[in-house]
Amino acid sequence: MNTLRLYLKSMSILVKCHLQYPLSFTLQTFGQLIMEGAELLAVILLVDRFGHLHQWTAGNLYFFFGLMSVTFYLAEFFGRGLTGNFSGMVQSGELDTLLLRPRGILTQVICSAIDPRRISCIAVGTVSLVIGSRMSGVVWTLPGILLLIESIFCGFWLVLGLFQIEAILCIYSVKSVELSNTLTYGGRSACQYPVDAFPLPIRLLFTVIAPFALVMHVPASRILGKPLFDWPLYAAYLAPLSGIAVFAVMSVLFNRAIRHYRSTGS
Amino acid sequence: MKPYLSIFRLRLRLETQYRGAVLGGFICQCFFGIILIAVYRALYESRPQALSFSHVAAYVWIQQAFFRMILSSDDELMGKIKTGGIVYDLCRPMHLYSFYFARILAQKLMGSLLRAIPMLVFAALLPEGWGLSLPASLPGLLCSMLALLLGLFCVSATENITMAATMRTLDLRGFRTILNMLMMFFTGNILPLTLFPDSWQRVLTLFPYAQILDAPIRLYTGEYAAAEAPWILLLQAVWTAALVLLGCLLWSRNQRKLIIQGG
Repeated sequence: MNTLRLYLKSMSILVKCHLQYPLSFTLQTFGQLIMEGAELLAVILLVDRFGHLHQWTAGNLYFFFGLMSVTFYLAEFFGRGLTGNFSGMVQSGELDTLLLRPRGILTQVICSAIDPRRISCIAVGTVSLVIGSRMSGVVWTLPGILLLIESIFCGFWLVLGLFQIEAILCIYSVKSVELSNTLTYGGRSACQYPVDAFPLPIRLLFTVIAPFALVMHVPASRILGKPLFDWPLYAAYLAPLSGIAVFAVMSVLFNRAIRHYRSTGS
Repeated sequence: MKPYLSIFRLRLRLETQYRGAVLGGFICQCFFGIILIAVYRALYESRPQALSFSHVAAYVWIQQAFFRMILSSDDELMGKIKTGGIVYDLCRPMHLYSFYFARILAQKLMGSLLRAIPMLVFAALLPEGWGLSLPASLPGLLCSMLALLLGLFCVSATENITMAATMRTLDLRGFRTILNMLMMFFTGNILPLTLFPDSWQRVLTLFPYAQILDAPIRLYTGEYAAAEAPWILLLQAVWTAALVLLGCLLWSRNQRKLIIQGG
């Protein structure tokens, strides 16, 4: 509880910080809107040309896109400390200051930044999600809504868990490791399309290692009435929990890595 | 001319120093390329198109290979704008626009070549339908290389205009995000321009953004016949000249209005 209060406190301070420069904030938020809008436009143009992707209709594709973008940008919004400039914190020695305080390092890292500009990306994602479910003719029932919320919630932790990989590599190597972008940003780009569009190795990568498919595509396909795998209903509710598992495992590894941390400061 | 050439050479050397970043970028860009091609393949299976798939694959690979040409900027200059350090550059007995043009040209040239060569080799080794196919013809290849060179000048001119806008607004990110996004979208990085609706393509290929990578790629795949090449190259040259002129104008106006803050 204490941790949560600390988090909320730092978030409110950080939001105030961002709003100190209203013009810059507005411009940047607008910039993000254009950015995510362009991504959506790309999907719309593809749908315009191709009509459908295997069994997935246009509406289904918008739904998948919206789900990914809402989830990913929620993680970037609230977890900016991890997704943003962690490598900068290590390189500048700023991480040292966190070691002195009587709180967990991971908590402090997550509390160190917020990115309210992402609100426009989340808005684009929501619009896409709503349009997608309308076009797919989804009838919303309570279990369906719960499944969607669970999927977004678990996806949030999955994304933060994957960004921790980058943070861990950075603690050991000091340099920011572009390589781990393949799982985070690569995962976003790939899994905004349903996973069965991909050949087996990529499908395995995003089901077993970075389980975007379990967290998002299994529940989403269930909501759309076209289950991805021939699994019983309860499996659709269990599968997203793998996202939280990834976060938990990575947290343990992160805390182990911190013990090996050697300051770069002078 | 001589000082600009030596700046160009120095910046070229500087770019070659970051080899670790090159390797990471290489793997990352290859992965993105494979994912994009997988998506387009699945879409092609759903509804085949008149445009041959090997053209789409070539488009994706060349775009990924020259990613650094589109999106890279002179961070040092951005820092100078923020701190007021640009005042030292004003003291140099040089034309400021040309000074920065030489720097960004070198950065974009070396930054993209270092990544592009291994990536294009990798892409060429991939199996049929995934990798980069051979160019349509030898004249087509030569024309596309020439077009790529013009595209490099064009993108450097665009970058200098963005910098001029950054100087004016003092906002290092907001305006840039929008301009960079327009660039990514209309150069065909996010979605190949060849997959845009046909009516859009007729207009978009005339845009300056299409001159950067789209024109060279189309010459490579043979979508623009080699016989058309002089017109394409002319269009590129005209846009580049116009953008350089506009950039010069903006920079000289900025220079007159420049206020260095701080003491």
